[in-house]
Amino acid sequence: MRGRRMNPAEIFDILISEFPVAVFGSSVVGAACGYLGVYILARRVVFFGAVLTQVSVLGLALTFLPALAIPHTVGSLVVTLTFALLLPRALRGARVPADTVLGVVFVAAIAVRILILQHTPKVEVAEIENLLRGDILFVTSELVYPTVASVGVAMVVLLSLFKEFGYITFDAETARTQGYRAGLWDTAFYGIAGGVIALSTHLVGDIFVFGFLVIPAATAMLLSRTVSWILLLSVIIGALAPFLGLFFAFLLDLPASPSSVAVAALVLLIAWAAHRLRR
Amino acid sequence: MNPILEFRSVSLGYGRTVVVQDVSFALHQGEFFGLVGPNGAGKTTILRAILGTLRPLQGEIVRPPSASRFCFGYVPQRDTIDDVLPYTVGEVVLMGRYRKLGLVRRPAREDHDAVGRSLDHAGIADLERKLFRDLSGGQKQRVLIARALAMGPDVLVLDEPTNGMDLSSRTSILTLIAQLHSTERLTILMVSHLLDDVANHAARLAVVDRGLFQVGPVQEILTGENLSSLYSMPVTVERMGTRTVIIAGQTHEPS
Repeated sequence: MRGRRMNPAEIFDILISEFPVAVFGSSVVGAACGYLGVYILARRVVFFGAVLTQVSVLGLALTFLPALAIPHTVGSLVVTLTFALLLPRALRGARVPADTVLGVVFVAAIAVRILILQHTPKVEVAEIENLLRGDILFVTSELVYPTVASVGVAMVVLLSLFKEFGYITFDAETARTQGYRAGLWDTAFYGIAGGVIALSTHLVGDIFVFGFLVIPAATAMLLSRTVSWILLLSVIIGALAPFLGLFFAFLLDLPASPSSVAVAALVLLIAWAAHRLRR
Repeated sequence: MNPILEFRSVSLGYGRTVVVQDVSFALHQGEFFGLVGPNGAGKTTILRAILGTLRPLQGEIVRPPSASRFCFGYVPQRDTIDDVLPYTVGEVVLMGRYRKLGLVRRPAREDHDAVGRSLDHAGIADLERKLFRDLSGGQKQRVLIARALAMGPDVLVLDEPTNGMDLSSRTSILTLIAQLHSTERLTILMVSHLLDDVANHAARLAVVDRGLFQVGPVQEILTGENLSSLYSMPVTVERMGTRTVIIAGQTHEPS
């Protein structure tokens, strides 16, 4: 991408014509993370989201070990879902504060990943690093379409159960007295979150996923005063920011995932300024 | 009066920890029943058992066939609610209809009508479009009462409804609860650590504290002698007209 700087129209043309799969995949994943992120923020489990992205990367890294020659997506899904479903239960009975346990898992996941990289052939290390950095532009349709389909199914489930997940998030105790099994609903939520995070991390990298779990939802919360609008706006920001991120990645010769997160962060900054001015 | 629910030698707790032991009492249809005791005494644990979210470690909780389909409308402590998401008052009250609606289905006209009626009963029809998180403590409590009413309850169960409120809001909430009892003929079960709140509204009372459990008519339970023995400190019960005033500690004439 170095050399003559392209004009915006050329970049848009190239993105649409040469990288439609990357644009489509990152927008869908951004939208899904945006929607999921509203619940992540509302449940105050942002650090849990960060831990799951790192655990998901660990799952990917594990599949590069010769002894564990399984598809990357499977490895990431199995490890992430295991942690997504077991961690909330473990945290309930823990003698140390929840964020301490999460901190341990977070740093251990990163450490083990680094150790795995040390024992991986150099060619594969480059592939892993590409995965971690989130080279959205070079994803293949064989990876994007199944991922988008799976994430789409998870989103349909979340949308269909909008009122139930909202109720459990707002007031789990009363919901329980009405016969909702809050533990089961929590398991369902963390299972969906784990699945979406694992699949998305494989596609666009950990920085993108965690960034889009937090930033669009936070922006939407600043700009909207109803839950429906927060969800809608978070999805819109999640869907549009990756496209703009890819645009700036081309324009300024930057890596795509961090560029997308930077665009989302810039939108958040503008929203925060607007919010301050409005008050 | 018909019993709605009966505790028979019930022990309750979490895991291996027993919180209350050998509790027996019955809740009757149409009564105003108070459950009082200091913080941490086990009131909420008993409440959870009444609401069916906690199983007894020992004993049994019996619901007669005539009351098996009774609906319990629960009003939680408002501090337990996490209002990060900006739900409107109307949306919060609508949550009371979710169970009747079932999974996936969206609210229909009748559900919105029920919300309107509940808001009217709670005296907050004008707040429907306001955000729950922007309301005062007293207003939030009314919203939670309206949500419980939207369930169409036979029994209204309130957990510390006046906790942390100023005198005016506290009086207003207690008046609303008394009205719902007298005009809507709702059975009321009110949990409070404030004896005064319960003393002037409930007909029967249970006091729970450190393994003790006493139940009976308010006049029998709320005597200076009984309360002094229960709380291990001097307690005076005074009648001022129709009202009961409970004074803890030594009372001195001003010099």
